[in-house]
Amino acid sequence: MLLNRDDWYETSRDLDWTFSYVDPNEVFPASWSGAGDVPADAWQDWEEPFRVSYRDYVRIQREKEGGVKAVGNALSRAGVFEKLDPAHLASAHLHLGGTCMVEQMAITMQSRFCRFAPTPKWRNLGVFGMLDETRHAQLDLRFAHELLKVDPRFDWTLKAFHTNEWGIRAVKAFFDDIMLNADCVEAALAVSLTVEHGFTNMQFVALAADAMAAGDINWSNLLSSIQTDEARHAQQGFPTLAVLMEHDPERAQQAIDVAFWRSTRLFQTLTGPAMDYYTPLEQRKMSFKEFMLEWIVNHHERILEDYGLKKPWYWDDFLRSLETAHHSMHLGMWWYRPTLFFKPNAGVSPAEREWLREKYPTWERDFGYIWDQIIANVQAGDVPATLPETLPVLCNVTHLPIGGACAPHELAEHKSEYKGKVYRFDSHISKWCFDVDPERYADHPTVVDRFLAGDIQPMDLPGALAWMGITPDVMGDDVYDYAWAREYVNA
Amino acid sequence: MTELASRSRRRGLKTWSAFGDLGRRPSDYEIVTHHMNHTTRPGEQPLEMGPHVRGNVWLRTHRDGMRLVVPDWDAFRDPDAVTYSTYVTAQDDQETYVEGLLERFDEAGHDEGLSDSALGLLRRVLAPSRFLAHGLQMLSSYVQQLAPSSYVGNCATFQTADQLRRVQLAAYRTTQLRLTRGTEMTEPGERWYWENDPAWQPIRKAVERALLEFDWDRAFVVTNLVTKPLTDLITVERLGAQAEAVGAPLDALILQNLYLDCRRSRRWTFALVSFLVAADPGNRAVLQEHLDSFGELARGVLDAAGRLLEVSGGQPPQAIVDTVRSAWCDMLAPHGLTAPRG
Repeated sequence: MLLNRDDWYETSRDLDWTFSYVDPNEVFPASWSGAGDVPADAWQDWEEPFRVSYRDYVRIQREKEGGVKAVGNALSRAGVFEKLDPAHLASAHLHLGGTCMVEQMAITMQSRFCRFAPTPKWRNLGVFGMLDETRHAQLDLRFAHELLKVDPRFDWTLKAFHTNEWGIRAVKAFFDDIMLNADCVEAALAVSLTVEHGFTNMQFVALAADAMAAGDINWSNLLSSIQTDEARHAQQGFPTLAVLMEHDPERAQQAIDVAFWRSTRLFQTLTGPAMDYYTPLEQRKMSFKEFMLEWIVNHHERILEDYGLKKPWYWDDFLRSLETAHHSMHLGMWWYRPTLFFKPNAGVSPAEREWLREKYPTWERDFGYIWDQIIANVQAGDVPATLPETLPVLCNVTHLPIGGACAPHELAEHKSEYKGKVYRFDSHISKWCFDVDPERYADHPTVVDRFLAGDIQPMDLPGALAWMGITPDVMGDDVYDYAWAREYVNA
Repeated sequence: MTELASRSRRRGLKTWSAFGDLGRRPSDYEIVTHHMNHTTRPGEQPLEMGPHVRGNVWLRTHRDGMRLVVPDWDAFRDPDAVTYSTYVTAQDDQETYVEGLLERFDEAGHDEGLSDSALGLLRRVLAPSRFLAHGLQMLSSYVQQLAPSSYVGNCATFQTADQLRRVQLAAYRTTQLRLTRGTEMTEPGERWYWENDPAWQPIRKAVERALLEFDWDRAFVVTNLVTKPLTDLITVERLGAQAEAVGAPLDALILQNLYLDCRRSRRWTFALVSFLVAADPGNRAVLQEHLDSFGELARGVLDAAGRLLEVSGGQPPQAIVDTVRSAWCDMLAPHGLTAPRG
């Protein structure tokens, strides 16, 4: 008879020993473990939020791999992908270009847990995390590679993080920091707890639902399958938070508040436009704001409450930003479409605009007149007037364009001086992130800082595009070739 | 601008542009492994952050500052071409096999029938080996996190997972033996042997010292050329042979199965050594120098192997030492490397 997992599991995590040939503080340096002032024996209380054996893991994951492959094979034979709405494709390009490398980076973050986490229980769980993230990167790569033949933009699944494209650099700046620069404790709070357990729920669940509605069963299936792994390993954040709340609650509060704001800004860029503009109208389930309120706001509030944390000090401004910030970001991204590696959908046809007005009562007032001008220019045959001539100013924390982070047209200047240099921010919240930990962001120029410093030659937009790796075959343009603008002529 | 944009057109690609001119269709393994380390861009900081942050300082010091010279790390290939999918499939098969062994031998009363000397061997060596495997797990994960290429990093990921497999199987067998044999198994306990048994100490010392090697090339050498191959030979391969000789066939078969993982690790390790030696004429000397610097640790491990595995009816201690030493030298020799002298 076989033993039950719980019979032997305790022994498999009883792995601490007393180091006598070297100093354990050098083996587990605080700079990577993040143990800080938490007493060593406090980590004894760190309890796995789930238990899994290697034996069960390989059996279950093998089945999951088989399931994803079977659906993929059936669909590639049916040529489903070629029939998809081109606007939906932009979500796939953006998602794969923006997150595939992040999955690979997450292997290394989990690996850091395996090596430096302050308790062997956590170090063991990190192994499954490493494997999970390897799976996600490889599923994305296999999926995207299959589609290269129909669209070269899928090349950016692999290529994006090797370029200087501004949006990708913003994603990279965040994840390089919280995954690859952070110590184990901070990574658990920022990535496992805030990003994976909060935001990726939305990214994956919402995108999977939208993809399914758009007929992209293969991608939907892939996203859902990834989410089942994320939901498991994201739980690593909870026991870490529990230990920290006992011994260093201020550190927990700050790490989570910074990560929550930076995640918000990034998801306003990646997910907001995908949900409210790229997903075909008839297939939209919820607006980005509704999804944020249901999945992120409630969820985050509950976690904060459960563990005795306060809401971030900027909570009201965050809620206010849900109404408009991603619309600003979308407008900016569409305007700067030659700097993107995918074709954004403007998403403001008369019917789509009606949906936007219904979901966002102030949308027309805040953004309608700008789009009206764009429509007028398109109708007058003056597309060049809808294209940028210069580069935007970027935030030194989020590396996203400055303007509209909390409210539309909010152009108040937010800046700090540190060691003789001036740093600019997209909001008073990003400025706070900088001010509480300036060394983390200092001396890291944005794309525009580099442009102004003469790193990018020639110093014009084509020069910047070449530096960003944007080639003509992927350069962004309006996905429907402005057909939506012409609808207004007949209206 | 419109002119630039209008040149945009749909044109399919056959494979990742990152392959350049490969001259053939890449394998599935290459498609999901190639060029997935974004922190090695020439002229840029490793991480998209300022130059002074911890992560950038660490990578510049311990990875980019190493003495191995390799023009293209993405040219390395794992001879087993392991992907996530092939890994979980292969390991599920292995675990199914082991599960069958555990069930079958349990029904046959394997543990009740173990002789004192067989039980002694398992108590003294097999059970404490989970601490060693945990050490190797930490060391393997470090090889992953600073690997200069995803081709290398992914090999180390699977090697890390292999160690957890070993930890859990050792814990499983330890639990089974405790249930059947009670205090014969629980006293003085696995941790005591790992921390106090003189025959274990050189191994523990090697693991602890190896954990302080943060330069990637030195970490790779001390983990994959010294500590892991030597302890795999001693505590998996030779232990399996001793277990068989003293009438513990279940453990012999489990260890033989675990040794398949060790051999896979060795295949990519020495493929990488071969790759490094071919990449630059100076690399062999760098590797040899690192090996030599771990000479004292390696000798300690080798010399204690006989005492650790000594059991009446098994291979004699000196023969064990000779077998392990010669197997290790045979791994190094084809690459022009020698076991540290002295």
